[in-house]
Amino acid sequence: MVERENTRTDDVPLDDKAKRMRDLLSSFYNPDHSSAPKAPSNYENLDAIDSTSFDPDHYMNLLVQQSNLEGLLRRHVEMAAEIKNLDTDLQMLVYENYNKFISATDAIKWMKSNIVGMEANMEQLLDKIMSVQSRSDGVNTSLFEKREHIEKLHRTRNLLRKVQFIYDLPARLAKCIKSEAYADAVKFYIGAMPIFKAYGDSSFQDCKRASEEAVIILVKNLQGKLFSDSESIQARAEAAVLLKQLDFPVDSLQARLLEKLEQSLGDLQLKTVGIENILRESNDPSKQGKAFESIPNTGHEVSVHGFAEAIRAYRVIFPDSESQLIKLAQNLVIKHFEMIEQCVKRRISSANFLGALRTIWTDVLLMDEVLSEAALPDFSLEAGQVTVKKYVASTFTYLLQDISDALLKVNVSPKEAAEEHPLQVALEASKKTVLQGSMDLLLDFRQLLDDDLGLLVKLREFIADWVQEGFQDFFRALDDRFLILSGRKNSTSQDQGFSDGALGEKVLVGIVLVLAQLSVFIEQTAIPRISEEITASFSGGGAQGDENGHAFVSGEICQIFRSVSETLLHHYINMRTQRVSTLLRKRFTTPNWVKHKEPREVHMFVDLFVQELRAVQSEVKQILPEGLMRKHHRSDSNGSGNSSRSNALLDDKMSRSNTQKARSQLLETHLAKLFKQKVEIFTKVEYTQESVETTIVKLCLKSLQEFVRLKTFNRSGFQQIQLDVQFLRTILKENIEVEEAIDFLLDEVIVAASERCLDPVPLENPILEKLVQVKLAKSKERSK
Amino acid sequence: MQGGSSGIGYGLKYQARCISDVKADTDHTSFLTGTLSLREENEVHLIRLSSGGTELICEGLFSHPNEIWDLASCPFDQRIFSTVFSTGESYGAAIWQIPELYGQLNSPQLERIASLDAHARKINCVLWWPSGRHDKLISIDDENLFLWTLDCSKKTAQVQSKQSSGMLHYLSGGAWDPHDINAVATTCESSVQFWDLRTMKKTNAVERAHIRNANYDMKNNHILVTAEDESGIHIWDLRKPKSPVKELPGHTHWTWAVSCNPEYDGLILSAGTDSTVNLWLAPTSAEEEATSESIAEPPAQHADPLLNSYSDYEDSVYGLAWSSREPWMFASLSYDGRVVVESVRPFLSRRVGVS
Repeated sequence: MVERENTRTDDVPLDDKAKRMRDLLSSFYNPDHSSAPKAPSNYENLDAIDSTSFDPDHYMNLLVQQSNLEGLLRRHVEMAAEIKNLDTDLQMLVYENYNKFISATDAIKWMKSNIVGMEANMEQLLDKIMSVQSRSDGVNTSLFEKREHIEKLHRTRNLLRKVQFIYDLPARLAKCIKSEAYADAVKFYIGAMPIFKAYGDSSFQDCKRASEEAVIILVKNLQGKLFSDSESIQARAEAAVLLKQLDFPVDSLQARLLEKLEQSLGDLQLKTVGIENILRESNDPSKQGKAFESIPNTGHEVSVHGFAEAIRAYRVIFPDSESQLIKLAQNLVIKHFEMIEQCVKRRISSANFLGALRTIWTDVLLMDEVLSEAALPDFSLEAGQVTVKKYVASTFTYLLQDISDALLKVNVSPKEAAEEHPLQVALEASKKTVLQGSMDLLLDFRQLLDDDLGLLVKLREFIADWVQEGFQDFFRALDDRFLILSGRKNSTSQDQGFSDGALGEKVLVGIVLVLAQLSVFIEQTAIPRISEEITASFSGGGAQGDENGHAFVSGEICQIFRSVSETLLHHYINMRTQRVSTLLRKRFTTPNWVKHKEPREVHMFVDLFVQELRAVQSEVKQILPEGLMRKHHRSDSNGSGNSSRSNALLDDKMSRSNTQKARSQLLETHLAKLFKQKVEIFTKVEYTQESVETTIVKLCLKSLQEFVRLKTFNRSGFQQIQLDVQFLRTILKENIEVEEAIDFLLDEVIVAASERCLDPVPLENPILEKLVQVKLAKSKERSK
Repeated sequence: MQGGSSGIGYGLKYQARCISDVKADTDHTSFLTGTLSLREENEVHLIRLSSGGTELICEGLFSHPNEIWDLASCPFDQRIFSTVFSTGESYGAAIWQIPELYGQLNSPQLERIASLDAHARKINCVLWWPSGRHDKLISIDDENLFLWTLDCSKKTAQVQSKQSSGMLHYLSGGAWDPHDINAVATTCESSVQFWDLRTMKKTNAVERAHIRNANYDMKNNHILVTAEDESGIHIWDLRKPKSPVKELPGHTHWTWAVSCNPEYDGLILSAGTDSTVNLWLAPTSAEEEATSESIAEPPAQHADPLLNSYSDYEDSVYGLAWSSREPWMFASLSYDGRVVVESVRPFLSRRVGVS
């Protein structure tokens, strides 16, 4: 026992102890184990000491085996204390239960004594209630008849009053009408309505008729009131409500009123047409920008005000009519914008355009005040977006038109333009148009951007985008237009809108040169300036522009114009040489060269050739800048020395062929070529007078050489060629910078002719000189 | 001079205009060329590319009575060819045969099989049907188109039919459609005309001025390439004769001759009087374009059609011939009598996709 208690104190902590107590108590009050808890409580055990299945022997053995003596002793002391505690707890419980039992017994005793006298009182109460009931029944029966009578009298009185009211109704209505108390009248009439419905056909016929007449008047008055603009809106709205109460077909009224509104809208539009007309007239630069602001605008504003008021009234009168009104208002906006678009087609200045937009916007704002449901600002924003876009597009179209007009002026009146430099004029004019036009455009668009008009503020980003996009497209279109104007591109693909379609075929050659130079100008001057301007003021909507890939890319445009200017320059050279080629072709295909007669004078084709060259010269002089190379060329006279050498060589060669030692002739030519530096005939063309001139001359001379090579000549034919070339050489030297290559080509022509000659005996130099001099004198005479 | 050393050169004694590929010679790459010298003894050279492909060997040298303006090798017999020649005052055309055992003879003479002597005007060219054996020949002079029946064994040539080109149409040359034995194109001052040889009637015309030379695409039916004096090269789809399918810039001066490669699509050679030969790549059908683009480097969306410009010539180049045996080789002849054979291989693999 001692050992057991020792182990217990050792092992169980204090919390465990409390828990055990609770468990024990709960098992004690548990009815199933009423006797059980006491058995385990006797045995002090470790883990399951309180459970029923506790095996004391086993526990003991375990304890003895596991614990040492000291532990067992401690366990014993602990267990003894616990037992003592349990005993005191038990005693306390017994005392408490006993006290409660005693007080319950007292209460029962007290209740028993109180119940005894209650029965007699209850019976007395029943009797009294019975007597009260019988009395009240008596009173009820005795008063019934009288009450019935009184009720009947009361009903009759009411009826009589109603009849009286109906008989009085016409008079009362008339009185109400007279005093314009329409609301009361309607109230009365509606009150009488059920009676008239029930008895109108029999007893109250007259009355009904009279009052209906009165009501008709009433309705008429009300309608009048409704339609009269002088009445206050409140009154009109009331009238509408009353009419509605009278079952009057309000819808038709509404329709009529709407019609009236539409009509006034029509008037308004007529007025705006007037405004636009004035607007248009004010396009005259003298009055520009003033007219639209002053007089017509005020008139317009007044009428729009009126319209807005009408809408407000209408809304009050017919509160459920919004959708129609919205439609109406939107119609107005649409019409406005249509009008502007019409004007845009006819080209208006941005100030005017702005003015028109401003007018519309104020209108819209006015109407928005009365009819915010219509979302007119948004609506007009959409419409305005379209219009502004169209405006931007159309301005670009006009610029394009301007430029081609400026260019075509030369084309239209080439003869009457007795001016000395029609091409130069055209170039300058078109240059100015391009630059000034684009700058003006930018300025105009700047105005659009800078304007603080609500509409435009919202569109600002879009406008910036459109402008960029517009320039991009504009320059592309310009490029196309150039190609078409130059005849490089068939205008058939896009001939619509081309007033100058007829010109497509017969392009003045000069204009091609003008276009080429203009392209250079655009690339080098116009585009940098424009892009500068654009980045300065139109970079706003850049992000969006990038997404669409439409932003103005000056590099790309420059590229386009660089290539187009090159194409055009080559085209010009080509066209010019082609004309000479035709000339040469005729010259060489017509005569029979094998049976040519002795040369008497320089052939006419040289004159024509020179004439063509003069034309080129005059065109080139007007358009292209002088080359920087000029002086350099002059001082570098090695070229002429070189050519003289080849001349000597040529003479030598021909003298040999004269002596019929021609066997080795070709070999010699080869050798000569080997020793002479290979002359680069075809060099890159530059945008200078000299470069273009010499290129054309070189190409023509090369053609001449090729034509000569295709023919066979007799001696006279060869001499004719010799003479022609000699003269040509003189003329060329007088007129243009003769570079080495030209000299070389002239020699080559004679070489070719001698090679293709059956009997190549050249003209003797004195004769040659004489003939040339004669020709020169002749041409000088003619030029005088 | 780019590519100056790549060509294999061969010098003729005199000036010359025409060179022709010997198509019937399947064992060697050889060309025929004839000189153009008014006052000298003219020659016909048979040139062969050595087996190593490094030099040109003169395989035969024959004297020819007159200066040669046009020369065409027979496509089915390597020993037969035609020439158009001139004495200075008159013109003639003949079919010649190279004698057998010519290598052993000292100064072999050409054997004249037949003379095409029905012409009264200046003869421009003689055409063989390019695609194979055909006993017909076409000769074109300034005004007329002649169809000849040639019998090589009997050594006769007879006019089968003749058609005048009509008023004011001076013919300058022609091309025989390799896809259609009955279709011939002739060039004249203002247009290209197309003839049906069965009826000898005009079937079609392309209006275009100053066409120097025309060449049918050997691979694609209906495609004709023309060279014009000033305005470069145009490629036509003959089903749509109104406007050209493609336009190539051509040469600085006249574009004298064009020639479509017999093997590779859209590979075109042109020779010009600016002393250059240009190699172009201009595929005509959309599908080919797509494939060639996919092969090409990425940015070559609008690749320059000009693959290369051979400029190592001293004079105008009039003669141009692809080798049909080795279709990447071509021969060019400049007026100073210099034959240059070049390979276009370096430019092929990149864009055309040929190994």
